[in-house]
Amino acid sequence: MLQNELFDNVIKDLNAGYWELHDNPESEVWSEKFYDTLGYSKGELAPTIDYFLEHLLHKEDVDVFRDNFLNYRRNTVNFKQHIKILSKQGDYKLFRCATNDELPVNIKSEISLIFFFEIKLEPQLDIKKDNFYYKETAQMTETGSWYVDFHKKKSYWDFETRRILEYADDYIPSLKDSAIYYAEDCRQQAADCFFSCAMAGTPFNTEIKMVTAKDRIIWVRAIGKPVYNENKEIIGIRGVFQDIDDIKVKELKLQKSMSIIASQNSRLFNFAHIVSHNLRSHTSNLSLLVQLIEDINKPEEKIELIQEIKQISSSLNTTIEHLNEIVTIHTNRQQERKLVKFQDALDLVISGIGQMISISKTKIETNFEAFDRIRYIPAYLESILLNLITNAIKYKHPDRDPKIDIRTYVEGENSYLIVSDNGVGIDMKLFKDKIFGMYKTFHYNKDAVGIGLFLTKNQIESLDGKITVESEVGIGTTFTIEF
Amino acid sequence: MDRNIGLACIIDDDSMYVNLVKKIIETKNLCQNLMVFKNGKDALNYFEAILSSLEKASIPEIIFLDLNMPVMDGWEFLENFTKIKNKFGKKITLYIVSSSINPVDIERAKNINSVEDYLIKPVTIEDLEAIFLNRST
Repeated sequence: MLQNELFDNVIKDLNAGYWELHDNPESEVWSEKFYDTLGYSKGELAPTIDYFLEHLLHKEDVDVFRDNFLNYRRNTVNFKQHIKILSKQGDYKLFRCATNDELPVNIKSEISLIFFFEIKLEPQLDIKKDNFYYKETAQMTETGSWYVDFHKKKSYWDFETRRILEYADDYIPSLKDSAIYYAEDCRQQAADCFFSCAMAGTPFNTEIKMVTAKDRIIWVRAIGKPVYNENKEIIGIRGVFQDIDDIKVKELKLQKSMSIIASQNSRLFNFAHIVSHNLRSHTSNLSLLVQLIEDINKPEEKIELIQEIKQISSSLNTTIEHLNEIVTIHTNRQQERKLVKFQDALDLVISGIGQMISISKTKIETNFEAFDRIRYIPAYLESILLNLITNAIKYKHPDRDPKIDIRTYVEGENSYLIVSDNGVGIDMKLFKDKIFGMYKTFHYNKDAVGIGLFLTKNQIESLDGKITVESEVGIGTTFTIEF
Repeated sequence: MDRNIGLACIIDDDSMYVNLVKKIIETKNLCQNLMVFKNGKDALNYFEAILSSLEKASIPEIIFLDLNMPVMDGWEFLENFTKIKNKFGKKITLYIVSSSINPVDIERAKNINSVEDYLIKPVTIEDLEAIFLNRST
């Protein structure tokens, strides 16, 4: 029996089951903890070495353990050995066996003891068979695992994580510089995920862009969850990276073509509306005219009315021509874009309407310093400039000569062209929604047709750009084109 | 036929349509005088001007109003006209005549008190006759 309290406490602290070996070779004393660890209760087992060797110890370990045991009992030769013992649940648990020399130096035991320290395995260090399946799964699903250890301040990557991120097999990941593994525009996202996982224990499952050793940017699904110790403190984050680059790239392509289709669809719908409305006014006139011709009896009046058909037919033609222009825009979007200098396009436009400019004493100022050329359909750029310039001249302020300011500028990733004038301006409160509509005119000018800005908008949008307008009555109008 | 309707008014920028309606009115003898405005602004200017004189003969009994017009469209005209229409001391019946078949437009028009009805172009001679005769009996 154990003699003193100090000894008792030490044994407790070891937190391991043990045997006491007594002189009678037929009976060992197995501690309660030894039974507990394996899930047995006391009466179920015969606490002898023979029973142990025959029923509980894994047969791989029997020979070595028997020798160690007997040598220890007879000659007090200490030993250490890893053994597997059958538990009540039917599986083998791994233990590290140690003897009296494992005790702290200040404790002497008069009895020979054998301690059994249970070894709890990390899943990926588990038995070889499992490791094989794990590797297969990782490779087939292109999923690598990783672990961030907060205490050791280190990260660990498995072979598949290294493969996905194109690092050498012996590469040691850096925890301090972990931002470099993520694409620049995703670093905040990564930081947020890891921070809230580390601080609040929030698991994450997100799609993120990472940078490989070869500087390739790939899409990865990153899943992570906190790892706790017994005191429920977060001591690390464990997770996986799955290579989803192929799928994600396809998804993004699909999204892009969806949005192109949606915008084309809405333009088509809009166009159908315009066609229906614009043709309707002519057909309804035609139908009214026919009624009138039928209703009138005098032949000479009938003939007079038939003349009116000419008028309707010619208006119909004009409308069809306008509609044709719009259709051409939609088919032209396939046309090749070329590098066009703004100044070149502007020179062409100015030479075309030179007389209009000089008669109206229009001054045009330009500044293309921000960027002086663009990949565009040259005819569109000319048409856009022509429309905006002639508009500015047509709707000039009666008290002053027209001044048109044309310049480019860049903001963030977007590039803009701005055309502003000092003309009469447009009442934005009344006409904001109508400025770019077809056959919308806001002024009393005779030559206002209401097709120019509509075409301009269509041309810009067919090349995935945007046009907006700001104006103040009596001050001027500014058109902003986003390419 | 009675010629009880003295003055009708068309507000429409489509000159072909205006000419045809004019012709029908002449041929069918539907009213004595017809005034035409090319947009809402011109018409509104006129109505605001006659408010001061209130000469009965210059106030139309019927207005045919188009919706899609330059400068001031039919909606804006209606908004302004509704504010002053009770000051004329005479019933003015207003019809919207538009080529818009948009249900939103039709619903919106029917919710405006001063609008008698919404006619979709093309109007028929019978429609016009019915409106004028109904009004004059």
